[in-house]
Amino acid sequence: MKLVIAMLMDGVIYASWLFVIAAGLTLIYGVMKILNMAHGSFYAIGAYSGASLVGIYLAGGNPVWGSYLVLLGAALVIGALVGLMAERGLLRFMYGRDEVVMILVTYGLLLILEDVIKLIWGVEAYSTYQPYTLLGRSKIAGLSFANYDFVLIGVSLLVGFLLWWGLNRTRSGKLLQVVIHDRNTASTQGINVTRMFTVTFVIGAVLGALAGALTAPGISVMPGLGVEVIVLAFAVVVIGGLGSVGGALVGALIVGLARAAAVHIYPDAELFVIYGVMALVLAFRPQGLFAIASARKI
Amino acid sequence: MNRSMPWLLLLWGFISTGPLAYAAVELGATRQEADATVGCLFPMSGRGGLYGRDSAVGVELALEHLEQAGLKNTPRLRVLFADSKSKASRAVRQVRDFVHNEQARFICGVVNSAIALQVTQVAQDLEVFFIGTDHASSSLTGESLNEFYFRTNNDSAQSMRAGARYIREHLYPDKKGEPLRIAFIGPDYDYGYQTWKDLRSSLAREGVRYKVIKTLWPKLYEPDYTTFIRSLMSQQVDLVVNSLWGGDMVAFVQQAVRTDFFQHSRFANFDTGANYEVLSALGSELPQGLILSARHHVNWPDTKLNKWFVYRFHALTGRYPSYAAEGAYSGILAIAEALRQTGSDASNSEIRKALLGLKLHLPEDPEGFDSYMNPQDHQLQQVIAIGETLRDLRYPPAQMMLGKWQVYTPQALDTPSNLPTP
Repeated sequence: MKLVIAMLMDGVIYASWLFVIAAGLTLIYGVMKILNMAHGSFYAIGAYSGASLVGIYLAGGNPVWGSYLVLLGAALVIGALVGLMAERGLLRFMYGRDEVVMILVTYGLLLILEDVIKLIWGVEAYSTYQPYTLLGRSKIAGLSFANYDFVLIGVSLLVGFLLWWGLNRTRSGKLLQVVIHDRNTASTQGINVTRMFTVTFVIGAVLGALAGALTAPGISVMPGLGVEVIVLAFAVVVIGGLGSVGGALVGALIVGLARAAAVHIYPDAELFVIYGVMALVLAFRPQGLFAIASARKI
Repeated sequence: MNRSMPWLLLLWGFISTGPLAYAAVELGATRQEADATVGCLFPMSGRGGLYGRDSAVGVELALEHLEQAGLKNTPRLRVLFADSKSKASRAVRQVRDFVHNEQARFICGVVNSAIALQVTQVAQDLEVFFIGTDHASSSLTGESLNEFYFRTNNDSAQSMRAGARYIREHLYPDKKGEPLRIAFIGPDYDYGYQTWKDLRSSLAREGVRYKVIKTLWPKLYEPDYTTFIRSLMSQQVDLVVNSLWGGDMVAFVQQAVRTDFFQHSRFANFDTGANYEVLSALGSELPQGLILSARHHVNWPDTKLNKWFVYRFHALTGRYPSYAAEGAYSGILAIAEALRQTGSDASNSEIRKALLGLKLHLPEDPEGFDSYMNPQDHQLQQVIAIGETLRDLRYPPAQMMLGKWQVYTPQALDTPSNLPTP
């Protein structure tokens, strides 16, 4: 029983931050048809910004509870800024190109940002544990869990709900769905597609940075973080279906639970199990479990 | 696109050429006056960059020591450094460059055991000596040993043999005949697997009855150990043996200390846990009572040579050395001593013979002990000192250092423990 609870909890906690990253990735793909390799760097930049700014904030003798606002602020401001720079400074010049070209361009951006991170923050790891420990710990079935992780689960559910609500219950979301369905028709109907792209990319980047900032207190923020994460995020969106936010949620849960089960039961398979599941989904449902149905022009 | 691309290319060029500054590091004699050239491979940038930078200072201290000692026939060494960037393909290419373009007869260094396995192959093919100074997998001195490979730092087999003896003497008798419940967590590559293999064989050799509760293999540079820590805590364990190193060891402890992990069981890392790099990075976060060791300690042994090495390093850099520095120092002394005995024009077999009979007095050697080469496995035999973490502010920024030393000489480890079987 203890083992099952440990697996379930670890899996859900892991899935929660993975979902926030994957949601940003899948949103960008759904609207812009860009498989954004640089999304991992947005996560890493969020983590570094959060960890370093909280460090500076706490060094000033400020109360620890304020560090949550610093983390949130770092994610929103830095994520929006980096997303805006990437979209306006690079990607807008590439719209209309083949999806493979966009992968190569964003891969190049990932490599550049990885080195920019090293130039700004160096190669030493950052650890900002205070926001993580402030909320204390709870025991479930004799196992100790950080309450911060429960907050993380709550935040990811909130992000999921806001995305669903924004896409389905707001005018902007409905306009975005028109763009997703057919950007040429949307353009002829007077929808500013370029602005939609910019806003979507910035929201996606903020989600990536938010996941990074929120996980920073619980992990060691170190170089290479972005590359690690983008591979996992790809696995999630491939399993869930490219462009589907609901699919990203299910994909994150599958990846999180599979990894947790592997670590607890058969640790040798920790990495294999994630890609094993992905391969299985690709073999039987190449479009992913919840891919958005797309109209085909004939 | 046309307007922004040149700026992006410029930025990329700036970023990518930054680390090349280290590729040109050259110490010792000039090409014209050198008796022999040594090509050193270390990560000089990125996450492992500290190992390379400390090793370069270690080499500088070795050359200074050789000059001060002024022994007759001491060769003039030219030591080149290349940034391996912790990549095997790059390291292999650099070995070829050292040999073909710089006429290097010796290769030294290499931090990662998996990369060292590839370097040892190419060094053998090119018939140049590879003096390992900073990797520890015992497979290099075991099944992958070749006649051109020698190692001057402790290997995982030595560390685990000492670790098993420590377990036998200090942890095992408490169990009153019950098997010791052990969990192991190590990095997911050759060094991790070899360490675990060495520990098991050493425990068997010491007659310790043990039960493996769990083995975990997080990947190298894992940022999040939460699930692994919880997995270790989900079952009753007497001792967790950890073989993570560098930043991974730091990250693990930082994340574990936020839980009850260190109250759950005893914790040991017998090979790398007390590397000064780890002690300084953790500062006051490092709990007391952890059982750790390292391939060199800044506060042990309390000898004139070790004090000179540590304080001279500090005078040059403003920081205390990680064990990488002493490994590189030892490697250069080994090469110099072999060439001093044979002459720089000696054949490979003459140099090999000198290396096989090598005896050196190194900073990690306590009074009355000299490190010596084991001719069977080409591994320098050294004393292993295991200690417990205690508050000690003499070597800032570290706030915890090792104390309560248990010292194991190679001779003592070669003879069976004289403790009665529980």
